[in-house]
Amino acid sequence: MDVTRFRQDFPILQDPHITYFDSACQSLRPQVVIDAIEKYYLQMPACSGRSMHRLAANVTRQVDQVRAAVAKFIGAAKKEEIIFTRNTTEGINLVANALAFRAGDVILISDKEHNSNLIPWQKLVRTQGVVVKIIPSQSDNTFDLDAFDRLLGQGGVRLAALGMTSNLDGASIPFAEVVKRAHRAGALVLFDAAQSAPHQKIAVKALDVDFLAFSGHKLLGPSGMGVLYGKTKLLEDMQPFMVGGDTVATSTYETCEYLPPPEKFEAGLQDYAGIFGLGAAVEYLQNVGFDAIHKQELLLNQAITNGLINLPGLALIGPADPALRGGIFTFYINGIDSHRIALMLDQMAGIMVRSGQHCVHSWFNAHQITGSVRVSAYFYNTLEEVNRLVENLNKIRKVL
Amino acid sequence: MFCIIALVVLSILGIFSAANRALAREALDCVLRRMTFRPCNTGFDEKMKAKILGAVIMRSERLARFISKYFEVLAWFFFILFLGASLMFSRGLYLFYVTGSCNGLNQKAFCVFDPAGANNEVSAVSSAVCTYTPGGENNLTIEDVNLGGFPTLNPQDKQPIVFVGCYACDYSRKSYQAIIKLVDHYHSGLIFLHYPVKEKTDYLNKVGYCAYKQDPAKYWQMNDIFFTTDKLNLDDDGFIQKSLNDLGFDTNALKTCVGDPATELAVQKQMNEIVKTKFYGTPTVFIKDQVSVGPKPYRVYAVELKGLFYWLQ
Repeated sequence: MDVTRFRQDFPILQDPHITYFDSACQSLRPQVVIDAIEKYYLQMPACSGRSMHRLAANVTRQVDQVRAAVAKFIGAAKKEEIIFTRNTTEGINLVANALAFRAGDVILISDKEHNSNLIPWQKLVRTQGVVVKIIPSQSDNTFDLDAFDRLLGQGGVRLAALGMTSNLDGASIPFAEVVKRAHRAGALVLFDAAQSAPHQKIAVKALDVDFLAFSGHKLLGPSGMGVLYGKTKLLEDMQPFMVGGDTVATSTYETCEYLPPPEKFEAGLQDYAGIFGLGAAVEYLQNVGFDAIHKQELLLNQAITNGLINLPGLALIGPADPALRGGIFTFYINGIDSHRIALMLDQMAGIMVRSGQHCVHSWFNAHQITGSVRVSAYFYNTLEEVNRLVENLNKIRKVL
Repeated sequence: MFCIIALVVLSILGIFSAANRALAREALDCVLRRMTFRPCNTGFDEKMKAKILGAVIMRSERLARFISKYFEVLAWFFFILFLGASLMFSRGLYLFYVTGSCNGLNQKAFCVFDPAGANNEVSAVSSAVCTYTPGGENNLTIEDVNLGGFPTLNPQDKQPIVFVGCYACDYSRKSYQAIIKLVDHYHSGLIFLHYPVKEKTDYLNKVGYCAYKQDPAKYWQMNDIFFTTDKLNLDDDGFIQKSLNDLGFDTNALKTCVGDPATELAVQKQMNEIVKTKFYGTPTVFIKDQVSVGPKPYRVYAVELKGLFYWLQ
C-alpha cells in the first residue's frame, strides 16, 4: 500500500506535528470528502424530494445516488433499506423505539458494548418491560459463542444487539455464526458496525443480518452523518419514532399516510451536505480497498504490539494476537492515570490517542479498572509514526 | 495546592492568551471546589501535570522524573512560596500606601512602585555648613527644640505639623505643596522652619524672619511665591524686593530689620534650634509622632495626620 500517496489526500496530515492514533473515535477526512460537502453548499444548496426546480432535482438525484452507493458498499439488496441517520447511536435508538417489543422479550448484548448499544436497551427495560441479558466474554475478552448459545437456549430472545467490532479492544465477534445461531433461535440481529464498517467489507444480504448501524465520521465521512440498514420487511412493519415533514405522503387534521421506508424514518430536512460527504467517503474507501486497509492495520498493530507489550507494568485489554484486534491497542498501567499518558503524548510529540473508558463504562466498572489508553491506527498511519509512539511511551514509562 | 498556584499563574498569562484564560477558569473552578471540600472534577490537576511533564521530559528525563515523583511536595513548596510572596507583596503595598516606600517610612531600599526612590530623595545638609551629626531617621526629634519664634499657621492646633525645608530645594518645593494642601483641608497647624541648604539663599532666612515679624499673614503669601517661583529668581534681589513690595510689605522697614544685628542673632538662634532636630536633609516633616524625610505623596502626610482612612474625614 502506498501510504505516502494516500496521506497526501488528508489535509490535516500535512501538518508534521500531528500523529493521529484516534481513528476509532473519529477518522480523518480526505480532501474529496471536504470538497463533496462544500459542493452541496456551493452548487446546489436546496431541498431534496420537495421542490421541483433544478437545484432541488440535482440534490434529490445526488442523495439517491449516495443511498445506492451506500447500499452497494454494505451489500444491501435495495437502496430503500438504507436510512440516513446522524450516527450509529441514532440508528440503534431508531430500532429500539420503532421495533415492536413486548414485555418479557429478551435482548442479548455483550459485556463490552458501547453505551450507544447499552443505554437504549436499558431504557426499554424500564419503559417496555423487556429483559436485557449480558453475554460474558472469554478471559481474553473475545466473544464467547457458548455463552451466547446458552442464553439463546433460555428462550424468549427477540433481539441480539451486538457490536461487530469492539471499540474497547478491536476484537470482532464471529458475526456470521452469531447471525446463524440467533436466527435459528428465532431472534433478530442488530449489529453495531461503527468499528467494523471502516475496516472490513460488510455484506449484509449475504450475512443475513436484520439491522446494521454505522457512523460516517469513523469511515472518513463527515460527523453527524450515519446509516441504519434494515431488511425491507422489518422496516415496513416498524412504526417511525420520529415523525413530521418528509415522512408522510399526505395528512388530514386527524391522520396521515406514511411514506414507505426509508422516507418514513427520515423526519425533517436531512443533512444533505453530510450525505454528499458520506458518498465521497464510501467511494474513497472502496478505492483504497479493504484488503489493503486490513494489511496496513495488521502491519501497524503488530509493530505497536511488539514495541509496547513489554513495557513494565503494561496490561493489554483484549486478545494478545494483534491480528484479532484490528487497528486497536488498548492498555493501562496500574497506578498511572491514562489521561496523563495521553496528554503527555500530545504535549511531547503531538501524538493523539484516546484515554479514559471509551464509552464502555460498564465494562470498566465491572472490571474495576479506572481507565485505559487506546491507540487506534488506520491505513493512513505509518510505521514511522508507530516508532514515534513507542519511543515516547517508553520515555513516559521511565519517568512516571 | 497546585490549583491555587495555577490559578495565579494562569490568570496572569490569561491577560495575554485566551487559551490560558480558559485554563484559569478551570483552575478557579478547581479552587472553589477544593474550598468547599469537594474533589476537583475537571481533571485540571492531571491535565496541567501532564502538560508540565510533557514539556520537561523533552529536555531532561531526570528532571521530569523528579517533578513527577515530588509533584505534590513541589506544589506545596510553591504554594508556601507564593503565600510568603503574597504576604510580602501585601506588606509592601500597604507600606507604600502609608509611607511612600515598600520598605517602611524613609527606607531607601528598592521599591517596585517607586523604582527611582523619588519619595525618599532629600536635599542633604552639607557637613561643612552644618555642625550637626547625621544620626538617621531614628534620631530625628522636636522634643528639645524651641519652636516659639518660628512662623506658625493656625496656632490654636496643639499638634502642629513641623516642616523643615528650604526655598531653593527641589524636594522641599515638592512637598511644601502637599503640606499646604493638607493644612488648607484639615485646618491643621503648621510651623515652618526654613533651613537654607543651598547657601545662596541664606539671606532669605533674615528676610523671612523680618517679614513674619512685620505681617504673619503676608508671610505665608511670600512663602507661596518663594516655593513656586523659578529657583533662579531666589538669587535675584530685584525679584525678592519686587515680590515683597507687591505683597504690600514695608520694604524699607524690612531692609532695616534685615540689617539689624539683632536679626542676625535671632536667625542664628533659630538655626541652632533647627539643628537640634538632628535632621539630615530637607524636607523633613514632623506630623504627630511620625517624621517623614523626603517628598512624600500627599496621602502619606494625610495618613500621618488623620489616619489610614483620612479620605473619609
